[in-house]
This record gives sequence, C-alpha cells and structure tokens, in this order.
Amino acid sequence: MISLSDFNHTHEQHGVAVSVRDLSLTYTTSIEKKPTLKARFKSLGRGKKHTRVISALSDVNLDIHYGAVLGIIGSNGAGKSTLMRVISGIVPPSQGRVEVYGSVSTLLALGVGFNPSMTGRDNVYLGGLAAGMSREEIDRDFDAIAEFSELGEAIDAPMRTYSSGMYARLAFSVAAVVEPDILIIDEALSTGDAKFKEKSLNRIKELRTADRALILVSHALATIEDICNEVIWLNKGKLMMRGNPAEVITAYREFVNARKSASSDEDV
Amino acid sequence: MDKPVTVYEPFRAGLPPMREYAAALWSRRTFISEFSRSQLREQNYGSVFGQLWLVLNPLLLSGVYFLLIYVIGGSSDATRFGHLTATLFLFYLISNSLTGGVKAITSGQRLILNTSFPRIMLPISATVIALFKFLPTVVVFMLIHVLIGLPFSWQMLWAFPILLIALVMALGMAVLISCINVYFRDISSILPYLTRSLLYLSPILYEAENISESIKKFEIANPLFYLLDSWSRVVVHAEAPVTSGLIHASIWAFSLFLIGCYIFLSRERDFAVRL
Repeated sequence: MISLSDFNHTHEQHGVAVSVRDLSLTYTTSIEKKPTLKARFKSLGRGKKHTRVISALSDVNLDIHYGAVLGIIGSNGAGKSTLMRVISGIVPPSQGRVEVYGSVSTLLALGVGFNPSMTGRDNVYLGGLAAGMSREEIDRDFDAIAEFSELGEAIDAPMRTYSSGMYARLAFSVAAVVEPDILIIDEALSTGDAKFKEKSLNRIKELRTADRALILVSHALATIEDICNEVIWLNKGKLMMRGNPAEVITAYREFVNARKSASSDEDV
Repeated sequence: MDKPVTVYEPFRAGLPPMREYAAALWSRRTFISEFSRSQLREQNYGSVFGQLWLVLNPLLLSGVYFLLIYVIGGSSDATRFGHLTATLFLFYLISNSLTGGVKAITSGQRLILNTSFPRIMLPISATVIALFKFLPTVVVFMLIHVLIGLPFSWQMLWAFPILLIALVMALGMAVLISCINVYFRDISSILPYLTRSLLYLSPILYEAENISESIKKFEIANPLFYLLDSWSRVVVHAEAPVTSGLIHASIWAFSLFLIGCYIFLSRERDFAVRL
C-alpha cells in the first residue's frame, strides 16, 4: 500500500473537495440471502452463526482536489463502489473520517427512482427529485434533458415501452444536467449505443472544470485513461496505488496478468 | 474555498442529528409526494378506471356487508351497517399502511443503495398512499350516512383529531414494520395473519359495547380497539368520544410512532449493507 506522500501530482492542485482519512469499512451482513424469523427460530440453541463480518475498505487515505478527474479502478469486489457510497453518505464508515466540501451528485446507477409505469416526462421529474433537484430546477432544465436524451415524442410514452438504450439515455440525461461541485459516476457509461456512449463521454468531459471534482469508477480502462488526470487502484479494500493514469493502469494490468498466469499455473 | 462541509464519521448507535435529519426530510417533501403518486400509478390508480376503483372497492365492500347484515342476517339496524362500514374503512387505512410499509425498505433497494436521503421517507410514502386510498371511502361513507339516515351533530368534528391519531398510528406501524422486515424478510408473509387477527379482535364486525367486560379488559393490548370505538361513536352515532378511549388510542399511536421512529432512525444507516 502506498501513502499519499509518495505521490507527485503533475496537474494543478486546487482546494480539497474530498478528504478521506484512515477510512475502514467493515459491515455485518446476514449469511442467508434473505434472513427470516423462521430460520432464526429453527436455529435457536444450536449456536449457529447468522451473520458474517465483511471488510470492504481498509485504511484508505485520499485527498481529491477541485479540478481533479479521479478514476477508480480495480477488480470486482475491490471496494470501488463502496468507497463511492461512503463519500456520498450512503454508507457510514466504520473507522476514519470523510470530509466532503461542496454539493455531491451521484450517478451510481442509471434510472434510480424511475418508475416504468410512468412516462419519460414524469420520470424526469421523479429521477430529478430522487437526485436531490427541486421541481423548479427540473422545470428549468427539462427541455435540455429532453433534447439531450434524443427521445423526441417518446418522452411522453410510458417507460415500460422503452428499449434498454432509450432507458439509459433518459437516465443519463437527467443525471447529466445536474451541475454539482462533486460528481461521482459509477459505470454509467457502460450502457446505451456507441453514439450515445460518445455523447455521454463528451458531456463528462464538458463537466471537467477547475471548480468541480469528478470521480469516475469504471472497468473501461481506455475511458479512464482518456478522461481522468489521476487514477487510484483499489484491491480488496486497500489503496494499492495512486498516480497518473498511464502508470497506474499499467501497474494494474501487470497485476491482473500476473494473477491470471498464477492461476493458470495452479490449474496445470 | 467557501463550500458547505459534510463530515461522515462512524456511528455506534442512537439517533442521527435530528435537526439536520428533519431539514433533509422536509427538503424532500416534493419527492415523497411524487414518489407516492408514482406508486399509486404503478398500482393502476393513475387511470380513470383505477381511480374509479378507489371508490368502487369500498362500495363493493360495504355491499358485501349490506348483504350479510340486511339480506342474510335479516337485520334492519341501520346503525350496525353504518358502524361496520365506517370502522372497516378506517381499519383499511391502517392495514394498507402496514402492507405498503412492510416492503417499503426492501423494495426501495435501488434507491437506498444509490442515493443518500432520509430512509424514513419510504414508509412515510406508504402511509401517504394509504391515505390517498382512504379519502374516497370518506365520500362513500358520507353517502351511506345520508342514505341510511344516521344522525348528524357538531360532535362529528371529533373525526378530525381521531383521524390524526389514526394517521400517527398508521405511520408508526409502517415505520416499525418496514425496519423489522429488513432483518426478518418473512414478516411480510406473516402480516396478513396479523391484520386479519386485528380485524376480528377490533370492534368492526361488532360494537365495543356489545362485548363483555371480562374480554374488554384484554382489549387494552389492542391498539385499534378504542380508536375504532371512538371513530364509530363520532361518525356513526354523532356523539363525543369517551375521553379514556381517546387517551388509550393516543397513547398507543404516539408510542408506536416514537418507538418505530427510534428503532428505524437508529438502524437506517445499516440498511444499505443489509439489502
């Protein structure tokens, strides 16, 4: 694990947007997928464990400055989404402290709060309100959202009639108009057709300003390298490396390849 | 840099800072209303026939009881029919809040995992939906009230505070059960038996004064007993409620609300990892 002082930041540094200090997150979760009262009664007196403790993040230290576009990479279960959830206040830390300077908007999943039985228009309001916008803000931005989504008249059709691409387009459009101080995007670019992917990528590039911090979680390493000016690599909840995108991505690729060959050697 | 600072630190137990929590909840009031509306729409109450069903459903229910009491039972007691419909409609406000509330958190998984907001908003929304469904039954009951010639008086204004007590109770129950269901998912399967038991143990199919004192003393444990009795006295008999009954209902309602909110608020930060 590398400490913060080991890094030389090449880009211009502004004020701190997010400060993460000694962050650890362990949580207790049920062993069964769906815990039930019946199972609890049946196991009374047998000393059976019902919960297990999972360590999702371990001693993470991180400062994210305004003007930074930080990419977060790592394999599945590395703690990327968990870190985003802690920064956005969805999950409280078990240890450490997170300070967030400014308004945060999260795009952790597309279409959060959407209701398929309602029209696209209604869902713009529903999704916008879920994202923390006021009705007045949505009224003001509605035309921009509709135009960005390229849905045309389909905006007044129920969302259950939408294709997955149309759904993703509208969901991204609602999120894209929000202009927070800190924007957290988790795998949002992995949906929609190629043309819309490019459009959303361009929108994210537009959002890169000196008075905003962008945090982008993705498995698409080329996208991360293209957009971000700084990358961190998480593995099993630990911060492995932080630095310029090319260096960190190369180190991550080497790590993944080494692990692959180690596992294929074991198979032999 | 002049930016608002939010600090996230570990929590051990207990309530979140209540002033900030209340402010966050208030700022989300439009979302609560829009979310409730979307849920109603999902249950087809957005269409003309869906809205008609909100009136037809209580009408059909009262029709069934009309059949039972007047046609099959051979009774000509208008008060009994009025009592049955009035209490049944208020009972449905509470049972709809419970059935909507039980899965409020578990079915709001995507919202909870991806957005930061006061989680209590979800069971509140379940109670708002139950209230939306209850309001048309008031119109239906008023029609029945006139048609069967029940009395009117100023004492009927007691209906407003009693309805408020019922809403506090419905909300408290929804908040409590939504939290319990996160830890024990089969509570939603047990709930129909619980509501059915409450239906039979409460003065709906009978009037409170018709049961013996020896049984009535156990009814102190039934949150709905004196609430429904007070409701019936006010809206059916057009009388003032009995003070002790009103106090009993209030104590149950506010206790359920406070206990439910305490358990929910002290646990809600745990929900995202439990879903």
